[in-house]
Amino acid sequence: MTQLTDQESFLRLIEENKGIIFKICNSYCRDKNDREDLAQEIIYQLWKSGKSFDPGYKFSTWMYRIALNTAISFYRKEKKSDAVIAYPGNPPDMEDKTDRSGDMEERIKQLQDFINELKALDKALMFLYLESKSYSEIADILGITETNVATKIGRVKEKLKQHFSTINH
Amino acid sequence: MELQNIWKAYDQKLEEARVLNLQSWALNFKSFEAIQTQKAKSKLNSLARFKTWVILAGIIWVAFLAFLIYHSLSFSKIFFVISAGMIALFNVVAIIVYIKHVIWIRQIDNSESVVDVQQKAAKLQTSTLQIVRILFLQMPFYTTWWFTPQMVTSGDLKFWLISFPIVLLFAFFSFWLYRNINHKNANKKWFKILFNSPEWTSVTKAIQFVKEIEDYKNDRG
Repeated sequence: MTQLTDQESFLRLIEENKGIIFKICNSYCRDKNDREDLAQEIIYQLWKSGKSFDPGYKFSTWMYRIALNTAISFYRKEKKSDAVIAYPGNPPDMEDKTDRSGDMEERIKQLQDFINELKALDKALMFLYLESKSYSEIADILGITETNVATKIGRVKEKLKQHFSTINH
Repeated sequence: MELQNIWKAYDQKLEEARVLNLQSWALNFKSFEAIQTQKAKSKLNSLARFKTWVILAGIIWVAFLAFLIYHSLSFSKIFFVISAGMIALFNVVAIIVYIKHVIWIRQIDNSESVVDVQQKAAKLQTSTLQIVRILFLQMPFYTTWWFTPQMVTSGDLKFWLISFPIVLLFAFFSFWLYRNINHKNANKKWFKILFNSPEWTSVTKAIQFVKEIEDYKNDRG
């Protein structure tokens, strides 16, 4: 990805990373309208920042930073659903319509519930961990040390274990 | 790793359910451009606009005070000149701090690390307190502008027993507030009473968030 200022490259970027945008929105907003609004905000911030994107820089780090910073700022605002800006076109469908029957679906729901309960920065950490990012990349995206990342992940996983055992008993 | 398997299953489900319709929306690029204009009114930008308006109002206020001072330059109005001068001075300091904030807002770059960006944004919100504490310092000068040299030299009891103690009281409180309005006292009862109104909620939340980030960086959270 060398040029993010042309529409075609940008749309390809959105297409390739739509799952990440969706999951971030889902982790930071419970309300469907808020999720739509956050998706707009993330796409806008990516488009705006694309002009200053340094091709020599690792793309995924750059994208996760922008998406997570936008999501955390949005989350801190505690936006109400009636604050959504009207779309001139069709809005992105941010409703989670996945089939949730069966054991795995139940686990996905439990994991989402757990992430929703975490603090803003821990959500980002957990999200990156689940996205299989290396400790070094997580540290780079978040701006903390690798040791700190490892300690925090261990702590969050411990909480998660308790969360699942409480639910299953 | 089981957790990551659950997450991958979630990815798979998203793909199967085709729940994401982002591209069809983003394809409408003209609309997207229109959204950009609306999005330019996002929170930080609106904060910058608000602060810019306050800067303009502050400049007008200081200019008005300067006009009054210029037309009052005489010994009989010495207290008015000094009081208005000090009020203008504190307002100039506040304007400079506000200009600094607008520059900070413009410098926030979402592609920097999450902790850095969030820390800058939260500190920006809490820095509103910096302005408030500076402006509190002008309080006693609102109680002295009407004094005259004659009131001081005539030995008027009403002046020394009522007006002067009021000035001292205001001076004490304004200095005390200047020293004590900071994030370290955010949990004190007087602080919560003083900054209880809804417009201060985001500032008090930001104070907590700054602490949360500090703990996060230092692995206390």
